[in-house]
Amino acid sequence: MNTTLQSGSLWTPESLAAGGFDERIFPDGTVRPSWQLVSDQLAALGPEEMLDRSASIEQFIRENGITFHADQSQGAVPSDEDEETANRPWQLSVIPFVMGSAEWNVLSDGLVQRTHLLERILVDLLGEQRLIREGVVPGELFWANPVFSRAYHGLEGTPQKLHVTATDLVRGVDGLWRVTGDRTRAPSGLGYLLENRIVMGRVLPKLIRRSNTRRLASFFESLREHLQSLAPQDRSNPRVALLAPPSGSYREFEDTYLARYLGLTLVRGSDLAIRGGCLHVKTLGGLLPIQVLWRHISDRRCDPLELDPASNQGVAGLLRCVRHGRVAVVNAIGSVLAQTPGLMPYLEQANQFFFGGSLQLPSLKSYWLGDPQQRAYVLDHLDSLVLRSAYTVSSQEPIDTTRLSQQERAEFLQRIEADPGQFLAQERLAYSSTPVWIGGQVKPQRVALRNFQLIRGDRVEVLPGALARVGNDEMELSRSPVSGQRTLDCWVTSDVPLGKHKSLLPSGRNAIKLRRIGDELPSRVAEHLYWLGRYVERAEGISRLMRTTLSRLSGEETTEMAAELPRLTYALASLGQIEPGYAVDSFVAGLPNLDQVLPASVLDPEQPRGLIRTMQSVMHNATAVRDRLSNDAYRILRRAFRELNQPASASGRAVSEGMGYGEAIERVGTLIVDLLAFAGVTSEGFVRTHSWQFLELGRRIERADQTCDLLLTMLCPATENGKAICEAALEITDSLMTYRSRYLNLVRLAPVVDLIVTDDTNPRSVLYQLDRISDVIEKLPAVEGPVRLDAIERIVLDMQYQVKLADPYQLCQTSDDGTLEQLGKLLRGIAGRLPELSDAISAHYLIHTAATQQLTGTGR
Amino acid sequence: MNGGQMNEGHANGGQANGGPKGDPLPENTAATPGAAPAALPTAVRYRIRHSTSYQYSQNVAVCQNQLRMQPISGGNVICHRSTLTVVPEPSSRDEHFDYFGNRVQAFSIESKHRSLSVVVESQVTIRQPRVVAESASPPWETCLKPVGQRGGLPLRDEHRYASPRVAPGRPFADYARESFGDGRGIVEAALDLTRRIHHDFAYDTTATDVNTTTERAFELRAGVCQDFAHVQIACLRSIGLAARYVSGYLRTVPPPGKPRLVGADESHAWLEVFAGEDLGWLGLDPTNACLVGMDHIPVSLGRDYGDVSPMRGVVLGGGTHTLKVSVDVAPAQEVAGSKDASPPPNSPPASQPQPAGESSESGNPATANPAPSPDPPTSQSQSQSQPPPSG
Repeated sequence: MNTTLQSGSLWTPESLAAGGFDERIFPDGTVRPSWQLVSDQLAALGPEEMLDRSASIEQFIRENGITFHADQSQGAVPSDEDEETANRPWQLSVIPFVMGSAEWNVLSDGLVQRTHLLERILVDLLGEQRLIREGVVPGELFWANPVFSRAYHGLEGTPQKLHVTATDLVRGVDGLWRVTGDRTRAPSGLGYLLENRIVMGRVLPKLIRRSNTRRLASFFESLREHLQSLAPQDRSNPRVALLAPPSGSYREFEDTYLARYLGLTLVRGSDLAIRGGCLHVKTLGGLLPIQVLWRHISDRRCDPLELDPASNQGVAGLLRCVRHGRVAVVNAIGSVLAQTPGLMPYLEQANQFFFGGSLQLPSLKSYWLGDPQQRAYVLDHLDSLVLRSAYTVSSQEPIDTTRLSQQERAEFLQRIEADPGQFLAQERLAYSSTPVWIGGQVKPQRVALRNFQLIRGDRVEVLPGALARVGNDEMELSRSPVSGQRTLDCWVTSDVPLGKHKSLLPSGRNAIKLRRIGDELPSRVAEHLYWLGRYVERAEGISRLMRTTLSRLSGEETTEMAAELPRLTYALASLGQIEPGYAVDSFVAGLPNLDQVLPASVLDPEQPRGLIRTMQSVMHNATAVRDRLSNDAYRILRRAFRELNQPASASGRAVSEGMGYGEAIERVGTLIVDLLAFAGVTSEGFVRTHSWQFLELGRRIERADQTCDLLLTMLCPATENGKAICEAALEITDSLMTYRSRYLNLVRLAPVVDLIVTDDTNPRSVLYQLDRISDVIEKLPAVEGPVRLDAIERIVLDMQYQVKLADPYQLCQTSDDGTLEQLGKLLRGIAGRLPELSDAISAHYLIHTAATQQLTGTGR
Repeated sequence: MNGGQMNEGHANGGQANGGPKGDPLPENTAATPGAAPAALPTAVRYRIRHSTSYQYSQNVAVCQNQLRMQPISGGNVICHRSTLTVVPEPSSRDEHFDYFGNRVQAFSIESKHRSLSVVVESQVTIRQPRVVAESASPPWETCLKPVGQRGGLPLRDEHRYASPRVAPGRPFADYARESFGDGRGIVEAALDLTRRIHHDFAYDTTATDVNTTTERAFELRAGVCQDFAHVQIACLRSIGLAARYVSGYLRTVPPPGKPRLVGADESHAWLEVFAGEDLGWLGLDPTNACLVGMDHIPVSLGRDYGDVSPMRGVVLGGGTHTLKVSVDVAPAQEVAGSKDASPPPNSPPASQPQPAGESSESGNPATANPAPSPDPPTSQSQSQSQPPPSG
């Protein structure tokens, strides 16, 4: 029976909790029956194998890009405006948290009861408010509560308010589970929990089957059915959308993941529009109606017209839509009230009031300081309690008065006295410990569970599992569940085999209509993809020009420098990489030598069109459409951006002089390789949907533009030494190899112009870009827009004809002043029409949003 | 002289949640230093025209709007008719009643437009409220105790607590306590506070803007009606009393011998304090240092300005805009005092005996009024006169 000894080196004495409640073993050291099988099997694997499995988890998580938004500061609420998020890999430990069926059933019953109660309380608060009228709950808790926007009240909408809720649980020394908090707004963690289970299913496939672990698939299936069933109209095939906060939110990964898994349309505020009283998503195919909106943004941000005017996360007029029953919002707007922490001391009474009988699952002992009696108790027992906001759920750590200095304590007491109602005090509880695999051995850590419930009318379904979080102490666990602690998969095990098996992979039961193209690409996503394509290409173009220039500057053939350098300088200035004055001959004399300016400007974030800024734009757009990019593609860009931004090494040069040529060439060279890798991954890994088409359009338009600009500055002006300039142009356009394979070292203007402009087989030529643009535009959806599609086609055709009809030999005839006038005319023509094309595409497909403004009817 | 429109009176107009509405308690009390002189009118009928127009520099693609500009019958207000005209024609339009019982018009315009015009024309009768002597009201401390569950939502006790723009605090309480000495009558004390604010605060349209906090206006000792009302509400809530914000219009009286200026009136704001079960809500106007009377035409009420802002809109596009607002409050008829014209204040509006010539039917056309035709907004030449501060 005593497996602790038998299993040798896994369950070492260090793996046991020093005191308190150990989830795995009884105080006498014997293993709890529910843990027996898992405990034995893990021991049988042994530490070596555990290390392997643990490594597989890490690899799996890395490969799937399971990340969380790093919560760097002291539990600060993740900011919505964080641009470049520090995403870190999700933390899942290999040993599961095990709970036996018997214990689970008791817990589950308690959760069902509590969920019914919260729904009833919410309906009352948003309706009659009998709880307040009859003195069950003090009115002040809601009247003075800034969270209670009165617009939530009396919004009819769906009769059922709560649909998906979560409950945070911990176990005390006495072995009893207690609720530390409720989440009724838009609980996070469901996606991570699902991912945890899928990973564990791969890493410990036999053990999870042998232990008869309850499966999660039916819960998610039920959730999907339920969301669809809420549609007020078009019930046969409603569109259910998941409204996520702006890109960069702490729950971005799981929102994307859940939307994919459940087959929901992932939208953000800027994708939404209300027309004709109904909610729509703006797509390339026009406005498509949304019947059900699962919103993962806060209540007050749902509608800038009636709620927070500063919000751009929701859509103006949503409340009106709800009032008219045109859309079902999940959870109902106003659901945040049911998670008011200050309600906890009154839940027992509320349950008596509505249903009779007491709560099976107790809350952590809580005291609301707005009540004089409770306040008196709290002030007498301050150091044995912790304090938190009574009004809002926050991810901040609670206040522990024993950790305050004398002065801080006095100030805190003043805050209580000034406005006691904003505080809730809760008992300190030592949480139970569970074994966790850390750094190659098992250590006990404190554990907290987050459970999830789905409410379907009269029935509450509890997800048979939980997101288990572990940490060194209770304070650490009081923070947000996605703040980055280690997590465990919670297994509800059974002695008897499970019934029917449901796979977590979407079943084939519901026949899905096969589709080749998705019209539902939100216009916002198309716009980001288009600009991602343009900026990636721009970065590559800049890098190539930089590299060629730098290599000439550092070269030894000083006699030849004179020939192409002025042209390269001119091109750099024209691209905005250096002071524009370098493009004007008479100014150059007054400016510092190029060799002093150039290496530094590679990394100059002040250059508005410089490499750093361009790559920032790349990252901004890539992050916004992360759910459309493969993980590899995204990783390549992240790496490229990181490498480019590394501080210059001081090797070889004084730090004050910045980077040397060698390092600068190396730096842009690496960037070029990364960008080529990105191009490869996207061209191989992207289905030819509209997503890919917009990325492609952006690339091709940008490349055509860059090439025209380059040739205009390098080839067209009159020159003495054409050879060096031609070679530089070939090098920058990545066509030198092709040229040499055709013409060896014989450099003449006409073949160069042919290769870079009119050769439709060279992927770098202008014509090639135009042909690809034409291909893509043919396949774009035909929608009614401000610009007729054939207008776009006409622009492209016109450019194609101009280039196709041009004769390379004629283009290369010099005019009297020595310039290539014909070539210049052609290139200027193309370069002039490209912005026209870009604008037409934007107007037709992309720009559906303009700045909004508020009307107040008053001039004050 | 009497408080704002009593939403509890709108038994049939409120929210759809089925909560008990209708307040059987007497409301709308005002006080005078002495007995009301018998010859004064007991009701005044008004025509109000509130016009708001926006001109945009660029096209607006979509606009969504909410208006709280239309009065409803209840308390001492009888709304005979109220019409809303929006140009261009909205794509959709509907109305509901908000948490505080205010009538909310919502509309959206989904076709391109360069201008927006919103005109609300209303005809209302404001009746003289019951009069109590200033010196004979119950001690203010009796108004501190919770009044409990009676009445419709929102419960009156709700107005004792902080709201988004008015948070109680020590400085407000200290200021209030100078008027609220131990055992002083609620009416006397509240009116004293009203007069002190009027005296201590400068009416200055440049000192504050629509988003100035109450704390800031209190420090500045300056502002406009919105700030004055917020300050007094903060003072009253800080000592535990229930107080609420009223928006509406004020009849402006031209200087002797001068005609009334058309369109020169403004939106106005004042407040009400709960003066106990017997007296109900008492209207106070700190901008004009007076009790609220028949010159005050209430439209909406709430906890503070944020609950009653007459217009809220979100427009897509539009570039820059210019705004023109004009408010015209024209007394159409004054009803002389008679026994019949002073109905008991606690009767529901529908069954109230009406002042002669008045109809209680909301939306009843003005032709039902046999009185001499109201003076229309005239265009006679007039010299600029300074209306009493409102706004």
